Amino acid sequence: MNNRQARNFAIGATAVSALVFLALTLDSHRQFGKLTNADQITPQVTHGKDVWHKYNCINCHTLLGEGAYYAPDLTKITQHRGEAYLQAYMRDPAQFYDEKKHRRLMPKQDLSDQEITDLIAFLDWVSKIDNQGWPPRPILVTGSFVPGADTIGSHATGEESAPSAARPVTAEDDPRAQGEHVFRTAVPACNACHSTAPGADMAGPTLAGLATRAAEILTSDSYTGSAKDVEGYIRESIVNPSAHLIPGKMYSANGTSFMPTGYDKSLTQEQLDHLAAYLASLK
Amino acid sequence: MRYKSQSVAYWYFAVAMVLFGLQLVFGLLSASKYLGPDPLLYILPFDVTKVIHTNLLIVWVLTGFMGATYWMVPDESRTELHSVKLAYIQLVLWVLMGVSAIIGYLFRFGTGNKLLEQPLPHKIVIVICMLIFLYNIGMTIKKAGRFTTTEGVLMIGLVTSALLFFPALLHYENYTVSIFYRWWTIHLWVEGVWMMIMGAFLAYLLIRLSGADREVMEKWLYVIVGLVFIAGILGTAHHYYWVGVPTYWLPIGGLFSALEPAALVGMAMYAYSAIRRAGMSHPNKLALHWTIGSALFSLFGAGLLGLAHTWPSVNKWTHGTLITAMHGHAAFYGAYAMIVLAMITYALPSLTRGRPEEGNSLGYWAFWLQIAGMFGMTLSFATAGIGQVYLERIMGMGYLDAQLKIQVHFLMLIATASLFTVGVALFIYDFFRHAPAFIVDNQEETSAVARASV
Ligand code: HEM
Ligand SMILES: [Fe+2]
Repeated sequence: MNNRQARNFAIGATAVSALVFLALTLDSHRQFGKLTNADQITPQVTHGKDVWHKYNCINCHTLLGEGAYYAPDLTKITQHRGEAYLQAYMRDPAQFYDEKKHRRLMPKQDLSDQEITDLIAFLDWVSKIDNQGWPPRPILVTGSFVPGADTIGSHATGEESAPSAARPVTAEDDPRAQGEHVFRTAVPACNACHSTAPGADMAGPTLAGLATRAAEILTSDSYTGSAKDVEGYIRESIVNPSAHLIPGKMYSANGTSFMPTGYDKSLTQEQLDHLAAYLASLK
Repeated sequence: MRYKSQSVAYWYFAVAMVLFGLQLVFGLLSASKYLGPDPLLYILPFDVTKVIHTNLLIVWVLTGFMGATYWMVPDESRTELHSVKLAYIQLVLWVLMGVSAIIGYLFRFGTGNKLLEQPLPHKIVIVICMLIFLYNIGMTIKKAGRFTTTEGVLMIGLVTSALLFFPALLHYENYTVSIFYRWWTIHLWVEGVWMMIMGAFLAYLLIRLSGADREVMEKWLYVIVGLVFIAGILGTAHHYYWVGVPTYWLPIGGLFSALEPAALVGMAMYAYSAIRRAGMSHPNKLALHWTIGSALFSLFGAGLLGLAHTWPSVNKWTHGTLITAMHGHAAFYGAYAMIVLAMITYALPSLTRGRPEEGNSLGYWAFWLQIAGMFGMTLSFATAGIGQVYLERIMGMGYLDAQLKIQVHFLMLIATASLFTVGVALFIYDFFRHAPAFIVDNQEETSAVARASV
């Protein structure tokens, strides 16, 4: 190989690669609209994006996995936390996290209500972008090990003879086992905010000892809901989170619980039964 | 120094040194916030220290590139610079731009778009500086009428760097589209055209430091450039995973970015074989350390550690974790920080008074402490990142809880970063220890001509 051939190789390689790259870029432009639901980029979403930029959020957080690595990824945050929670959180993060305990705290940003609402609209738009199903497993903000972390239980297929903990649950399994499955597969997943470990309160209170606690609540004077028994109370808490409020600024404001609503629609009666059966077993 | 106008390089290098030092101050501040709690939460929060840290890096490395170019082009074209005055005007504008941007960041005055945080007026000044620079260099070469391949590769690298900054000036309504074009600037810089710049400096240094034959060196430089672009252009796709673009970018990104290390292996072999075959022909052994060091450290940081997480099925788990920080630090330092330090070390003896040509022990301490420190930092980020991936991404532990579990790696990070900082402090001290003195000598010129005519 002489000098000229080497130069032609460099030029040729660059030209071909650049051409292919440009062609694919054009094709991507054809698809951006559909993949990102561009028709849903309302003025509100656009303003929310400006808020995201203005407050330099990306130099602590990641969004779509891009940014700094100092604070949690927010790609799917609106699927894990309800709007009321996010509103309250953005007003004052110190209500939710303790810098002594977590060693990091988000500084209060002094956003206006409008900015907060639009920011949430933007994050909600981001959460619906078709991004090849990333993250492969929900990225949680807080919480310790959760039962859902087992790969075998949720992914293995076709091994009917395996013991129940080593294969996906089926309709023949105990309702409580099926309920545990719903607990981590419902959308949003219950375990994104509730642990089942004693004392491990996350965005929602721990559900350890729930059955015992529910029985106490039902007989107390402060109870305002209409449930008669423990499973009824659990069912009510799922479909109508504000029926009875657990005290705490981090759980509710103005009589509205921060827990997302809509489980009455997204879960079937049967799934609710299983869930209630499972949670009632947490004595 | 053979041409008087090469002395402008000194002032560019001096600015680069100051900014490099400042970059580390903000880096150390950021690292200590990883440990927390943060007493400066409302004075200097993490997002501010981090944006200043990364922007200072980009600005000082570019300052170094410009200085090194003003040093190299007269040597290659055998002429004085077209205009020394323009070079100083450019430097002043550039420093004003950089300093005001940094001050602005303290007050959250920026675009909030990662690595491209400079407000629009600053971006425009950047473009103006680039144009002055390219004009000045272009005129120098034109007047000389002598244009080497090494210089050509450098020039094309610089011109395309300026062109690729263009997408960063535009506004995009769709967040995904803005990510798409952000990488045209960032990725195609660091894994494309900046590699040409680095390759050109590498070739220049190897030709001067070793007795290697220019003809052969320049032929292989072409081959390296070809390899960079075959893999690097389509390799952009490794930033297109999981951000809302068509799925075909996944296999393309995996395949082509996995080929990117080939060019880095090429560079390392290039450096090694030049020295092995041709031996040393120049007393500046310290500059040789930085030159070979740069080729090897970028093979490690960019090639090996880039490869480690570039395949989509791996990146799915590591994307957005400290694994990225591990690779980013080692790659940037090895490829771009070290090549600038190599050019500075090579040029410095003839830009300052009383500095021994072959380097002194302070210089070697600076070199080895930096290497050891950066290697340790890379390992700290790696161990922290691996812990994070397993705990948070694979096992499903919450982000904040997982970060608490990997605190020990942040301690290690701060320890090794301090070691690195000592190395850099020594380098800066050594830089300013000898007063500038611009001595033009013709001795080397004649021997170079003699060599070229052999
Ligand atoms: C001198 C060359 C290189 C430099 C300076 C460099 C620098 C960087 C930096 C700073 C980032 C972080 C970007 C961000 O967080 O926004 C990054 C990301 C990345 N680099 Fe490189 N890199 C180089 C070469 C390579 C090579 C050769 C490969 C592959 C073999 C590679 C693979 C990657 C990947 C996959 C990411 C994205 C990680 C993620 O976001 O998931 N890099 N690089
Ligand atoms: Fe890249």
